Amino acid sequence: MNLTLNKCYSLALAIAAGGFIAGCASEGVKNPNGVPVTEMRPDERGFVAGTGVESQDMVAVTDKMARSILGIPQIANAQGVPCVVLDPVRNETRFPINKDIFLTRIRVQLNSKAAGKVSFLARDRMEALERERNLKQSGQVTANANPSVVEFKGADFFLTGTLQGMTTRTSGGTSDYILYAFQLIDARTSAIVWEDSAEIKKQGLEDAAYR
Amino acid sequence: MKKFPLAGVAAGLVMLCGCVTEVHRIDLTGNIQIDAPKAIAEGPPRDKVLWQYRLAAADLQSGNFAQSKQMLDDALLTLGGIYGKDPSAKKSRSYFVSENKKTFIGEPYERVMAYFYRGIIYWMDGEPDNARACFRTGELEDSSSEGEQYNADYVLLDYLDGLATTKLGGDGSDAYQRALNECKLFAKPLPYNTNANVLFFVQWGPGPRKYAAGHYHEELHFSVPESPVRSAIIHADNVESINIGPFDDLGFQATTRGGRVMDFVLANKAVFKTATGVAGNTAIIAGTIAASSRNQTSQEVGLGLIAAGIISDVVSANTRPEADVRTWDNLPRYLSFAALQLAPGQHVVTVEFNDQFGQPMPSLTKTITINVPAEKRDQVVFVSDTSLTPQTQ
Repeated sequence: MNLTLNKCYSLALAIAAGGFIAGCASEGVKNPNGVPVTEMRPDERGFVAGTGVESQDMVAVTDKMARSILGIPQIANAQGVPCVVLDPVRNETRFPINKDIFLTRIRVQLNSKAAGKVSFLARDRMEALERERNLKQSGQVTANANPSVVEFKGADFFLTGTLQGMTTRTSGGTSDYILYAFQLIDARTSAIVWEDSAEIKKQGLEDAAYR
Repeated sequence: MKKFPLAGVAAGLVMLCGCVTEVHRIDLTGNIQIDAPKAIAEGPPRDKVLWQYRLAAADLQSGNFAQSKQMLDDALLTLGGIYGKDPSAKKSRSYFVSENKKTFIGEPYERVMAYFYRGIIYWMDGEPDNARACFRTGELEDSSSEGEQYNADYVLLDYLDGLATTKLGGDGSDAYQRALNECKLFAKPLPYNTNANVLFFVQWGPGPRKYAAGHYHEELHFSVPESPVRSAIIHADNVESINIGPFDDLGFQATTRGGRVMDFVLANKAVFKTATGVAGNTAIIAGTIAASSRNQTSQEVGLGLIAAGIISDVVSANTRPEADVRTWDNLPRYLSFAALQLAPGQHVVTVEFNDQFGQPMPSLTKTITINVPAEKRDQVVFVSDTSLTPQTQ
């Protein structure tokens, strides 16, 4: 009788254990417990990645460009402080991107690491600046200097760039090559006084379920 | 006798300890503006992109471009990041999980349309280079078809790539030539008019539908409903008119996609399902015969065969070779485009859709008020035969 009872308990336990295991299938729910926030460095390749332009590419490219610009004689040995205007980057790749972010980071890098060597002109704020000047000229707001004198500076250089890409797609996967080329153009002569580039190539293959 | 209540309690425990993290079923109302946000927020994560696609298309038709952009941006993040290991995709390749358990990103024609629509919105926002990037990626999505015959053969994507390049000061002649070469079904697109400042993206007809065929529904097929609309006429201020025909047919694109790698996986699942089913049934029949013998050994062997047969049948019954038929169901059949040069200021544009005899279908006529900007920037107009009317864009 005891033996039968033990067998019965074993059977009940086995069924219950099976139930617990089956109960955790969570079918249709991906990461039911969630994924904790993972803080990463912007120059670090994350676990979410594609073959397009990503933060680590942007950081690597803009760091390289900022270092390169500071070394050129037109900046390093300039008599005064050269004024630079940012001209939007041209995106000729297959990846839609926020183009301004490249030049913004180069400007920030140059301003933080070589403060005083170059001066950037806020041409993207001209509308607000002109409105403020007009208010000063009309006497609606105070002015510390004669508002009729033109003090908006002209550019000595234009900083701009182009992103170009090549893509190959075969049954073996997708390969994307992107050339990031930046130029500093003399506003007076149109001469390209500096140019540098960075290249990044990425490859990937999606799961067979998507092919 | 005491063991029966115990076993009952155990069985009850099994029933009760079902996991609480079950997927919430969404009650659909048929109104995409209600269903999609609910499905995106509360439905299975694997269907999120599908609903985002659907809502993005519906928003384009109702003129809610801001929400459409938001939906497409999120969907394209998933679409652009599918490289490498994907647990849901891996599961969908296993014998016991159906294909529709993978994260939906759509078939190539659906992926192309996600990029195409996003490109239109980029152009609306004054970013033709990013629009061109979307058209280029769209063309690449179409290049995943098996074989070379129908690879990257969207006329409009190449045509718009060239138009954007030309407008940005580059040479779009290569892309234009590709568009001409790909144009085999319909009239060839006109050469670029760089002075045209109003771009019309026009679409009509019901898009392709997916269905499963085969013994176990393991084959993915497409049905292409007939479109009552065959062409359109754009009237600007009742002064200027332009006739437009289709440049691309999504029905053609869906049905010329070629074989998928997943088709082989599903075919293998179907073979496995058949084999285990046949083996199971055979074992049960043979086991029953053996078990009815008077020989004790034969009886034991027969019982073993029956048990093995039942297991094999259970395995067969749980094999899921069904093809994934989740469809972006508010896509159009035909895509068209036209460019006009209009003076800056407000204009009233009427788009008439014509049937197969070239007769207008008045119930589908759309009226759009547009404001052409004075600065050098294109005004982009999106019109579908299912668009809300009147609209201001």
